[in-house]
Amino acid sequence: MLDAVATNPLRAGLPNEGISTPCSAVFFGASGDLFKRMLLPALYSMHLRGTLPDAFALVGFSRTAFDDDGFRDYCRKQLELFMPQDKKPQGPLWEDFAKRISYVTADFTNKQHFLALKGRLAQNDAEFGTAGNHLFYLATPPPVFPVIINHLKEAGLDKDPNGWTRIVVEKPFGTDLESARKLQQTIEAVFPENEIYRIDHYLGKEPVQDIIALRFANTIFEPIWNRNYVQNIQITSAESLGVEERGGYYDSAGALRDMIQNHVINLLALVAMEAPISSHADDIRNEKYKVLSAIRPPSHGDVWSLSARGQYGAGTIDGAAVIGYRQEHDVAPDSNTETFAAVKLMVESWRWAGVPFYLRSGKRLPRKVSEIAVTFKPIPHRFYGEATDKIEPNVLVIKIEPDEGISMRFEAKVPGPKDHIRSVYMDFSYGTGFGVVSPPAYERLIGDAIQGDQTLFTRWDAVERAWEIVTPVLEVWQNTKDFTFPNYAAGSQGPQSAQQLFPDWRRL
Amino acid sequence: MSFGIVLKELDERASERGGVYVATMTLVVFVEDAAIGDLARDRIHTLAAKHPSRVILFDATQSEGTHHVEGDDWIELGAKGSNAELLRGAANALRLPEAPVILLWIAPGIGDDERFCELSRDARTVVYNSSLVDAGNAALRQLVEYVERHPELALADIAYLRLAPWQESVAILFDGEESQELLDVTRVEIGCGSDPEGLYLLGWLASRLNWKPGSAEMLTGPDGKAIAFAIRREGEPRRIARVALSSTHSNFVAEADPHGETINLSVTGGRAKPPRLRAINNPGVAALVERAILSSQNDRVFQASLAAAGAIAAFGAPSP
Repeated sequence: MLDAVATNPLRAGLPNEGISTPCSAVFFGASGDLFKRMLLPALYSMHLRGTLPDAFALVGFSRTAFDDDGFRDYCRKQLELFMPQDKKPQGPLWEDFAKRISYVTADFTNKQHFLALKGRLAQNDAEFGTAGNHLFYLATPPPVFPVIINHLKEAGLDKDPNGWTRIVVEKPFGTDLESARKLQQTIEAVFPENEIYRIDHYLGKEPVQDIIALRFANTIFEPIWNRNYVQNIQITSAESLGVEERGGYYDSAGALRDMIQNHVINLLALVAMEAPISSHADDIRNEKYKVLSAIRPPSHGDVWSLSARGQYGAGTIDGAAVIGYRQEHDVAPDSNTETFAAVKLMVESWRWAGVPFYLRSGKRLPRKVSEIAVTFKPIPHRFYGEATDKIEPNVLVIKIEPDEGISMRFEAKVPGPKDHIRSVYMDFSYGTGFGVVSPPAYERLIGDAIQGDQTLFTRWDAVERAWEIVTPVLEVWQNTKDFTFPNYAAGSQGPQSAQQLFPDWRRL
Repeated sequence: MSFGIVLKELDERASERGGVYVATMTLVVFVEDAAIGDLARDRIHTLAAKHPSRVILFDATQSEGTHHVEGDDWIELGAKGSNAELLRGAANALRLPEAPVILLWIAPGIGDDERFCELSRDARTVVYNSSLVDAGNAALRQLVEYVERHPELALADIAYLRLAPWQESVAILFDGEESQELLDVTRVEIGCGSDPEGLYLLGWLASRLNWKPGSAEMLTGPDGKAIAFAIRREGEPRRIARVALSSTHSNFVAEADPHGETINLSVTGGRAKPPRLRAINNPGVAALVERAILSSQNDRVFQASLAAAGAIAAFGAPSP
């Protein structure tokens, strides 16, 4: 079918705004939170914008009992809740979307239910022209992944003689290095790497993609993007929220697993990698892996000097009192789980030798902010400015959340007869620069998966390397009870140990 | 015109505003009709809000020498009776030095208008609308002649850009094995509210399928087979209402719903398929201009479609 689309002479040169690849997308865990809040709205929004393939069908596969009509009704109700006012499900466009929705009530351990799914997919191929192309999206809790994957194989759903098969795996990919390798063994026994799409929705965000544009579509940054000019790089992913309804999951995960091992290390790779030879997925992913392989994981003995952990206690966020982590629902009252993690990593390469990368992530910090701050070295010789003036180093900040943009700090003369120097900030925001809200990350990533573009998905070697980097820290932390927990108040800048690790964190 | 006064006013505004200035382009706009002018201003405001720009609007309904500066970077100059060199000089004096210039020509006809020729010289992209003034094909024919004389012109026509959802929908009808039916098309019918859109759509089909115009009602395929066509007035101006292609075995139809919100796709006959539906998402003029600015400056499909549309129109199509 792909070739048939490609050989349609009317398609030559058309702006490629829609996706022409036919596809049946199966969502395992379709009655869950991720599907209703993120995936379903992303799909419906794509449908309204005409970017979903014309030959498209959606199959829900989950434990909750629905028939097809019941699941359509469920989807419509979720869209009522989670779509903006002007995109509510209604009229012929909703009806056209709804008729493509079907559902299989399933026990993930029951092979018969996977055979029922196989029948449904064959029906979709015949009814909607989905051409044997099947996208399996694992939106379930991770422990179920292996069960689903093995049953897909047993039911003969791992490949289709007429089309392609792809599997999208939500993070976290394993809970530690060993479990990640085990999961990988399970998946690769069924699907080759070019059919595996490990999703990290952070990578679908526009500012993250813009890191590559900023670095490689400009000439002014790259010459100074190295140890000669850069003092340090800070990567922060902070939240003011607590664990909300995810206490059970979070208490077995912690900040290092939940954020640093995937989102934050991915950002590090993008900011530190060499220029890829092309924009092809594997050329970019090769460079990302090379950077990660140049990071020496800390030895167990070095963990305390290269990391800091914390757990929030009661405090105040936005003027409102909030409870401590150990008082959260589904959290052990003596929990040793960190809600704040900071690590110092060194990239041992020609470009980055001697430049520390400080990574931090935490909950119940004063505000939600994700950013990469590149701090440049101080001027080599001072001859200007009043003696009382402090000359600050230049800082380039790539802002990811909640503001999306780039800001630059530099020094300027204060107008007047004296030679006073003051820091000024040049701020570019995507909102005002292009007056447009960035498309949601999931729309971009689902579209890429249907089209077979793996650029924004993480390859196994990078996932494995990220686990190797954080494993010594995880092991030491797990095996050492921290009797100072809780060691930072909700709404504060984090634990004191983080300041000891690096006193110049950007203020949150 | 006193550019010095205008520039001084801009400087004063900039110093009052302070902070950082962001701009992506200089938009040079020429309007000659008061009624269209207000609508155009509204659309350009929308565009400039999305892509911060210096806007230089030449208003040929206002006396030369008058000027008006508003907002951060919006300049209006009276251009009634202004000659071409003066306009070009004003645009060059007031444009942002580093940003690309986009010319929006919101006036009828370009063929013999020296003002258009001069202003288009410095533009990276010229945006025109061949169905702006009336529903006939005169503006499109003028455009074809102008482009033949000036092949270097990087041009976008709003009337063509508007067709994107229809091109996609017609292409969808022939994805897969159905693409073979394209070799066997015997008749094309297009219902549209104005000629340029209909001609462009037919021109696009002809250029993709190597059909040559034979008469005001017929095209010739690469194998010499005749393809009858008809472009009929139907529906709202500047909108396509219906496209139907018939082959020996099947009929392929894309048809807008009465509200113009969706396109119903149907295939009947030997290749029959269940009906399908696509959102039209009719983009506004501001969005189309944006598309023109962001799209390739060398859109070969557009160029070929324009040439084919011009060749078909030269035979007198659409028939009255």
